[in-house]
Amino acid sequence: MDIMLLLTSTVTLTGGIPLTLLLTFASLLAGFVLAVPLAFMRASPRKWLSLPVLAYTYVFRGTPLLVQLFIIYYGLGQVGAIRSSVLWVLLRDPFWCCLLAFSLNGAAYTTEIFRGGIQAVATGMIEAAQAVGMSPLQIKRRIIFPIAFRSVLPSYANEVISLVKATSLASTVTLLEITGLSRKLVSETFAPYEIFIAAGVLYLGLTFLLTGFFNVLEARLNAAPQARTHPRRVILRQVPHEQ
Amino acid sequence: MDGFVVQFVNGLKTTVLLALVSGALGMALGLLAAAGRLSRWRAVSAAVGFYTTIIRGVPELIIILLIYFGGTVAISAFFGRYVEVNAFLAGVVSLTVVFGAYTAEIFRGAVLSIPAGQIEAARSLGLHPWQTWLLVILPQMLRIALPALANQWISLVKETSLISIVGLTDIMRVAAIGAGSLRAPLTFYLAASALYLALTSLALVIFNLLERRFAVPGR
Amino acid sequence: MRAAKALSYPAFGVGEPAAEPGIRAERIEKRLGGNDVLRGVELIVRPGEILSILGSSGSGKSTLLRCLNLLTIPDRGDIWVHGEKLAIRAASQHGGPAGILDHRQVRRVRASMGMVFQNFNLWPHKTALENVTEGPVLVKGIRRGAAAELGRHYLAKVGLSDKADAYPRHLSGGQQQRVAIARALAMEPQVLLFDEPTSALDPELVGEVLRVMAALAGEGRTMVIVTHELAFAREVSTRAAFMHGGLIEEESPPQEFFSSPVSGRLRGFLASHR
Repeated sequence: MDIMLLLTSTVTLTGGIPLTLLLTFASLLAGFVLAVPLAFMRASPRKWLSLPVLAYTYVFRGTPLLVQLFIIYYGLGQVGAIRSSVLWVLLRDPFWCCLLAFSLNGAAYTTEIFRGGIQAVATGMIEAAQAVGMSPLQIKRRIIFPIAFRSVLPSYANEVISLVKATSLASTVTLLEITGLSRKLVSETFAPYEIFIAAGVLYLGLTFLLTGFFNVLEARLNAAPQARTHPRRVILRQVPHEQ
Repeated sequence: MDGFVVQFVNGLKTTVLLALVSGALGMALGLLAAAGRLSRWRAVSAAVGFYTTIIRGVPELIIILLIYFGGTVAISAFFGRYVEVNAFLAGVVSLTVVFGAYTAEIFRGAVLSIPAGQIEAARSLGLHPWQTWLLVILPQMLRIALPALANQWISLVKETSLISIVGLTDIMRVAAIGAGSLRAPLTFYLAASALYLALTSLALVIFNLLERRFAVPGR
Repeated sequence: MRAAKALSYPAFGVGEPAAEPGIRAERIEKRLGGNDVLRGVELIVRPGEILSILGSSGSGKSTLLRCLNLLTIPDRGDIWVHGEKLAIRAASQHGGPAGILDHRQVRRVRASMGMVFQNFNLWPHKTALENVTEGPVLVKGIRRGAAAELGRHYLAKVGLSDKADAYPRHLSGGQQQRVAIARALAMEPQVLLFDEPTSALDPELVGEVLRVMAALAGEGRTMVIVTHELAFAREVSTRAAFMHGGLIEEESPPQEFFSSPVSGRLRGFLASHR
């Protein structure tokens, strides 16, 4: 093991951090925006609203992200209608394909997480809001979602960390984020230990920072709501697939 | 496409075998690691904690690449000439290491949720510590851990696709070869995702049956 | 013989009542979980009246109260609030559920009726003050600043000025219920509905809530109170009703109600709760 090489490659690989973070946060944002309405549809007692969303989350959580990414990056080009449309400008670009794949995949998991939180909101909270005359949209926005979000924060934090790790797949479609950069470096230097360990250290740093952030956020939000006897720690965990 | 049916069947076999082997080994590793994490020896517990924290904080792909290319360098150095590590073997090792880290935490959580009174009761009956583990803790722990284990197995099935990146001819690799040679990527990758969906659905069904079979009455 | 049969409301007679203040419920029926919880209840609440509804559990009293602001939608029957008939779709014979036809109307009517629940139902992610101001801001469109002033006024009224910034989980049950009362008051409703407001409280906390309610009664507010607190009902109400088996079995001014009950069941009920 060459310690100097380890250090220099760590420094070189930090050049991939901005792209990793951009992919993470952009898909996080898009996934969140998609997941909130989908989660309410999924939680709806009306079958015609919940079943299509269930089909979406089932398929996206039941297949590998790598396949989803390849379908979008390589597969969509096979469809003539897409090739000739305006969308092709974006869809032939690996960055946008990654963003699309990570957002759709992340949204599927996030939808199920939020759905769980929404369904766990006590009916009394909703009745109290109805009793003062709030509209259904106001009740969702001001009462149900804030309560649900707080209760699923640990699971959501895990999903965010999974997403950071998932962005490493961008390297398979030529993007030079941390993993892509490390693979390029390895092919030039043939020093896999030092370089992949350096990459691992950087990811570990990112996941630790995010874990810390979510622990602080949870402590903050928890100083306020919800009677919990002990604060739940965010643990690194893969996102569950329960139905 | 016809020739690819056979290849897809072979790829499916490889994927299933890879998942089963690394899942079984990974669970064994996870059990050991959980026992180590819960042990009285601080050093063992800390070492296991270090292992699970590192593995869960790093992308699976990095671990796979490290083991595959690192292994190749190591073995080449050993034999004095370039020897490429078998992709299946690299897959088994890396997925076992990953699966072990996640299941260790699942098992640990499950053991901790068993009421202490039961362990005391077993001790007071004069059971040996290892008898207590085998007869009291293990069966209950597995039952409690079942839902989380199901999720982990499903994740494992999906993660096997990453081994195609280092050249294993699994479902994903067959799809990539077909996509390239027949210039029909959408068709082939959709076929691959259908196969994966079938596998994860099967895993889901099996675990639902297991959960029903081993359900704790009144829980 | 059912005492309820003898009850009629000569003030209104038959047919569409003229624009009248208060609440009027006619022939309310509700089936829940295979039980006929309400079996054609008639109820009138006149302005300024404080009506206590008593009865053993399962008699339908809470369900009746919840029907008044349509948190529970009656299967059949009509409800008028301040002379306005609520647009409800009755349940169908083949089990199709009852429904609300005019959601705007229902929201308007609910805003005019404050409701206090057995389990307080404060929103856990909002402070006491925010719990109180949320309704005025969102439903009545009052600006935040003005609403906060309003909120503080009503928190002071229930004796919780110093708890404005506390979150529900840091408050005792009695304090939470008083915040809930302030939340109902802040909408400046024409009617206050109380659904067993002290049943979930530890005995030593019941008094503080009842005192607040008694003070409100003294202001001449219209109140409908479902309760098990007989002494409180006797002291505060202007009329008391006894429910049994989904019907109002007897109702009268509290003196008669408690001193010379007609129905044997009410006598038994009063005796067992003494």
